[in-house]
Amino acid sequence: MSKKVYFDYASTTYVSNEVLNEMMPCFNAIYGNANTLHSFGRMAAGVVDRARDRIKNAINAEKANEIYFTSGGTEANNWAIRGIAHAYSSKGKHIIVSQIEHKSILDACAVLEEEGYEVTYLPVDKHGLVDLGQLLHEIKNETTLISIMAVNNEVGTIQNIKTIAKIAHDYGIIFHTDASQAIGNLKIDVKDMEIDAMTITGHKIYGPKGVGCLYLKEGIRIENLIYGGSAERGKRGGTVDVPAVAGFGKAVEVAVRDMAVNAQKMKSVRDYFLKCVHDRIEFVEVNGHPMQKVNTILNLCFEMVDKESLLMLLDLEGIAVSAGSACTSNSLTQSHVLKAMGLEDEIANSSIRFSFGKNLTKEDIDYTVDVLEKSVAKLRSISALTKAGRK
Amino acid sequence: MYSEKIIERFVSPKYAGGLRGANGTGRCENEECGDQVRLYISVNDDNVITEAKFKAYGGVCTIVALDVACSLIEGRSLEAALRTNHYQILEEMGPVPESRDYTANLAVEAIRAAIEDYYKRKEKETKK
Repeated sequence: MSKKVYFDYASTTYVSNEVLNEMMPCFNAIYGNANTLHSFGRMAAGVVDRARDRIKNAINAEKANEIYFTSGGTEANNWAIRGIAHAYSSKGKHIIVSQIEHKSILDACAVLEEEGYEVTYLPVDKHGLVDLGQLLHEIKNETTLISIMAVNNEVGTIQNIKTIAKIAHDYGIIFHTDASQAIGNLKIDVKDMEIDAMTITGHKIYGPKGVGCLYLKEGIRIENLIYGGSAERGKRGGTVDVPAVAGFGKAVEVAVRDMAVNAQKMKSVRDYFLKCVHDRIEFVEVNGHPMQKVNTILNLCFEMVDKESLLMLLDLEGIAVSAGSACTSNSLTQSHVLKAMGLEDEIANSSIRFSFGKNLTKEDIDYTVDVLEKSVAKLRSISALTKAGRK
Repeated sequence: MYSEKIIERFVSPKYAGGLRGANGTGRCENEECGDQVRLYISVNDDNVITEAKFKAYGGVCTIVALDVACSLIEGRSLEAALRTNHYQILEEMGPVPESRDYTANLAVEAIRAAIEDYYKRKEKETKK
């Protein structure tokens, strides 16, 4: 095996040179603690402030101080769910999320339930879209928070965030969105979209791992998740990871700056890949919304083929794909996203995610489709499932 | 996640495919994981399994467990094949993640179902 092709950009990306260049001086030249008053600290604080400004501009926030750096998307999601629910518990103990949220939202909700909160898990339709009628139906006087992801990480479906935020505000409810997969794919304007709180992470946009942020509109209260010191205006303890934050700020800036060009390229890559797959392999279905989806994620069902076996055959030929979100691929549980979309077990168990990134070439795609065609044929030849009975 | 031994067997299973003239078929599934397997046997008049094959819709270990099952029963009497247990299959597979232990049980169930099917068919023939 010599050729390697990476199709798991929605899981994480490499760090781009532009980002790396921004980070490098912060390891050994600008190494002060950003929370100290001396010149070393002030220099580091300058880097952190610049990153905060870059993110503020990229999402059109009112103030840079509305950005709170975290250790990544998981922490920001945990924090938003628990911190906002706790801060507004005197108003009510009911929150609403969708069934297809990332585990960092769902698991935080499970903890809230143990604490006596009520959580409504909104269903989605077969394309992965939240039912807005159902959302209206589930709102109560005690509802304090609605959290719906902007883009689903498994199928790429884009939610109607602006409408959902409007509904939330009509009822005086705070709206949070996990935009981990959205930044760089969608124009995010927190003012225009009326977003109160938003999660972003660095490592899906050619930035470093272990860093992200929670955007929190001024005036929205939140209880701390991490205590200790005055970092992040006393809301998030811990010495700020200056190189990571510098890289993250740059990555967000670049993602938004290059969005239009990348969207075009990713669309061409995805469409070419899908055309080749459809031309050469029978019984392939696309999961997710036919139109309202990002260009970087393609979830395909190869009927009669088990996803783990296919993933393994591709991996042996150097091709990296995902059989669901990375956090669940070690377990035998089915994708909660595909299940919520109402897909039959045999479709869900035969579905894998290809996610596209800047480095993919036509040669990579052609190689992958060759391997895919052979692997699918091999697994179908020994599959206990047959075409009989399928459409 | 998987040993080289498992991967090698997964890539080149010796007993994968259909079996023309099979006189016993075991159909089993694991609903929780969505695995579906078929184990085909060809049994001669001396009650010896002369050939065994399988088809599987399942993960790496499912395919390997079924391949091992076929290798353990081919050339053996029905009685001996019935005594195959999941420990023997796991031993032959080598180390597997705990979450995939169930595949050995699935393979044993498939052996038993195939033999049961063989006896049922034979009983039907005798009645004719």
